[in-house]
Amino acid sequence: MALIELKNITVAYDQKHNILENFNLSVEEGEFVSLLGPSGCGKTTTLRLIAGFNEAKDGQFLFKGQDYTKVPVHKRAFGFVFQSHALFPHLSVYDNVAFGLKLRKTDAKQIRTKVMDILEAVNLKGFENRYPSQLSGGQRQRVAIARSLVIQPDLLLFDEPLSSLDANLRVQMRMEIRRIQQELKVTTVYVSHDQEECFSISDKVAIMNKGVIEQLDTPPLIYKKPKTEFVARFVGFENILPMTGSGEGAAPLKAKDGTPFVVEGAAGMKGTVKCAIRPDDIRIAKDGEERGADNSTAGRIQVTTYLGRGYQYVVETAIGEFLVNSHGEAPFGHGETVRLDFPPDKLVPVD
Amino acid sequence: MKEKHTLLGWITFLVFLFLLGPLVIIIGASFGPDNYLTFPPNGFSLKWYENVFHVEMFWTSFKISMLVALLGIVLSFLLGIPAAYALSRYQFKGKGFFTSFFISPIIIPGIVFGYGLLKYLVITYHIPIFPGVLIGHVVIMIPYVIRVISSSLMNFDYSVEEAAMSLGASRLKTFFVVVLPNIRSGIIAGILLAFLESFNNVDVSVFMTGPGVSTLPISMLNYVEYYFDPTIAAISVLFMLMTAVLIAAIERTLGLRFFTK
Amino acid sequence: MKKPAYLLLFPGALFLAVFMVVPIATIILSTFANDGSVSLAGYTSFFTDSYTLGILGTTLKISLISTLICILLGYPTAYYISRTSVSRRGIYLALAIFPLLTSAIVRSFSWMVTLGKTGLINTLLLQLHVIDKPLQILYTETSIIIGMVHLFLPLMIISLIGVMENIDGDLMQAAASLGASRFKAFVKVVLPLSIPGLLVGSTLVLVGSLTAYATPQLLGGKKRVLATLLFQNTMTLNDWKAASIIATIMIAITFLLIGVMNALAKKLNPNG
Repeated sequence: MALIELKNITVAYDQKHNILENFNLSVEEGEFVSLLGPSGCGKTTTLRLIAGFNEAKDGQFLFKGQDYTKVPVHKRAFGFVFQSHALFPHLSVYDNVAFGLKLRKTDAKQIRTKVMDILEAVNLKGFENRYPSQLSGGQRQRVAIARSLVIQPDLLLFDEPLSSLDANLRVQMRMEIRRIQQELKVTTVYVSHDQEECFSISDKVAIMNKGVIEQLDTPPLIYKKPKTEFVARFVGFENILPMTGSGEGAAPLKAKDGTPFVVEGAAGMKGTVKCAIRPDDIRIAKDGEERGADNSTAGRIQVTTYLGRGYQYVVETAIGEFLVNSHGEAPFGHGETVRLDFPPDKLVPVD
Repeated sequence: MKEKHTLLGWITFLVFLFLLGPLVIIIGASFGPDNYLTFPPNGFSLKWYENVFHVEMFWTSFKISMLVALLGIVLSFLLGIPAAYALSRYQFKGKGFFTSFFISPIIIPGIVFGYGLLKYLVITYHIPIFPGVLIGHVVIMIPYVIRVISSSLMNFDYSVEEAAMSLGASRLKTFFVVVLPNIRSGIIAGILLAFLESFNNVDVSVFMTGPGVSTLPISMLNYVEYYFDPTIAAISVLFMLMTAVLIAAIERTLGLRFFTK
Repeated sequence: MKKPAYLLLFPGALFLAVFMVVPIATIILSTFANDGSVSLAGYTSFFTDSYTLGILGTTLKISLISTLICILLGYPTAYYISRTSVSRRGIYLALAIFPLLTSAIVRSFSWMVTLGKTGLINTLLLQLHVIDKPLQILYTETSIIIGMVHLFLPLMIISLIGVMENIDGDLMQAAASLGASRFKAFVKVVLPLSIPGLLVGSTLVLVGSLTAYATPQLLGGKKRVLATLLFQNTMTLNDWKAASIIATIMIAITFLLIGVMNALAKKLNPNG
């Protein structure tokens, strides 16, 4: 049984518009699941719904099989880490961390032990008498994490916790978060719009778009085999090649000019089939060099830009425009004719 | 270019001379030994300050004024804080209307409001003078409470409130444990401003006088009808002293910038 | 999430409705009632009686002159203050807030001392032999106007500082870089951008001086304005009918002026 389960959840933005509609998600005990997507996709709404800050207009939220839909926030015992850290400005680090324990009427001695232990776990020993305004961004975030961990939450929720930190600190903090999570084995739902951040720390990532989970998989699977066009574009498959399949066994797909394309995993597909491919995976070569009949097309360079590790081209071909990266030394010039090869194992059929 | 600024500087100087000069003059006059107000004074005496405390009317009306102001602060905060919080925290239909409505006691002419209260409460419903003046003061204090509290809540990060709830605090508990302590300076400044507003009020209080009940400014108005001696200057100086202390306190809590908003 | 907002607003709104809206509405309605029928008789007599008309005229005249003086003195002062350093600005602000928050009665007293027969002005003029007997300044229209300007000038200065401070200093430099002289830049940049503040300030002063009570009561002597007439009708003459008419006229003028200001502000909004 999943630890948390969202069943057919609908959340309204106002009377007319829904942010989430018939939304479903389940997370297993001990799992670290990220919700990733552009702003407005409903990821934060989902998280706030789990926390109890947002109300569902329709649907059910189950926690350990119990109906939690109407349970108020303060009775849920889920830790929530905010983007703005949301430390209590009028309380010291110690009192910030002790806040939840005091509400639980834990005895003073035990509070002291627990607070000091958790401060040690987040490397903040010796900071207990400071006030939030006297801390750096990273320290504040660690206090926020300690504060939500010390109540031994059933679930830990993160709302873009690193987006207010600078780049170096972000990398360091996300390892810290992963380390703590694995040590304590606390089930975690993490929201971010930063792809690298989500992929690096999650067991599973849910890519969201317009209130719907487009794909929920392990990071490598999403990275290699996106299921939908949206996910493909989101994770860097910038070229989408529309083709048609005959539906017969191993027959290749056909581009609009009839060029046959062999695509791994596309056997038996019928009708329009969109295939995604990364700019890095298309091979570019001088035209005129020998090429096979399959998975290849000729084109003309439209734009050349320098990326540092190589060059990026916009290439116009009979079957569409493609973004292609090359690691070659000598760039092709504007208007030059080139040949593009599409390896069968790099083309991914998407919905 | 330079000349223009000097001209502006002179105008500014004269304007402040006009604004503060008479206040300096009344300070000077309060130390005069003569039985009539004169400036410059013909000597130095503190007897008029002594006299302030000997006029019984001042003493009783001072107590009334303090009572009205303090009770008024309690009531206006009880009514005003929840409203200010709702207006800052939530988006809802009619928000603009309610904001204007809660500020409207500033706009309604005080003298008209005082008259209305007298006719409605005292004449029609025979409500005694003291509750009448208290109600009137609560009405005129509410806009100040709303403005000051809203202004402090503007800088308040409401996710702090959510953090408290996620850690197990109920809505009400959160308000007292997290929201209130963080707008403390606004509340203090609000108390000071509301106090001044009530303590200085004439327009409403002037209608609400009866046997043994009258606020200090009204007693002062009555006093000058019969005597215009330096006692009046002395009590004015005490008023100014109080105002200066309260302004300093407001500057330390809310900051005087508040007034230019 | 909507319900708590209304719940929290309810007690305060109810209090204001019962103790502010109802009393004032009752007064307004009562002025149209005459032995059970609707009548404008009260207004006819107010607007045909030369005594009351004269007082209305005096009130309007005093308010308009006071507002004009507040604009003329307040605008350059606020401009000067808004361009000084932050620390000096704080001092000026404190000096303007001090009279603003000082009791209106105390401020009127201070002018009684200054303008009276033995006050500073007369003493000075006598000693300089400009005059040979004390001038009657106190208890005239002039002394009411002086008191009103003193009462409301800080308000005007403070509301103008608020607006002028927000005018980006770069705008003046941008105008200068485009070839505008300092004066031209002021007329083209600061003036239009400060109009909203000027409008708000002027309305506050105008409405305030039309309805102020303590200052004309203390500095006006026998000279009456609407507010003191309202008080006299109530407390000495017990003429509730006449008092209610005056109260309604004051409310009407107030809302009319605020309405006009809002309309003007919309029209003149520099942001279009």
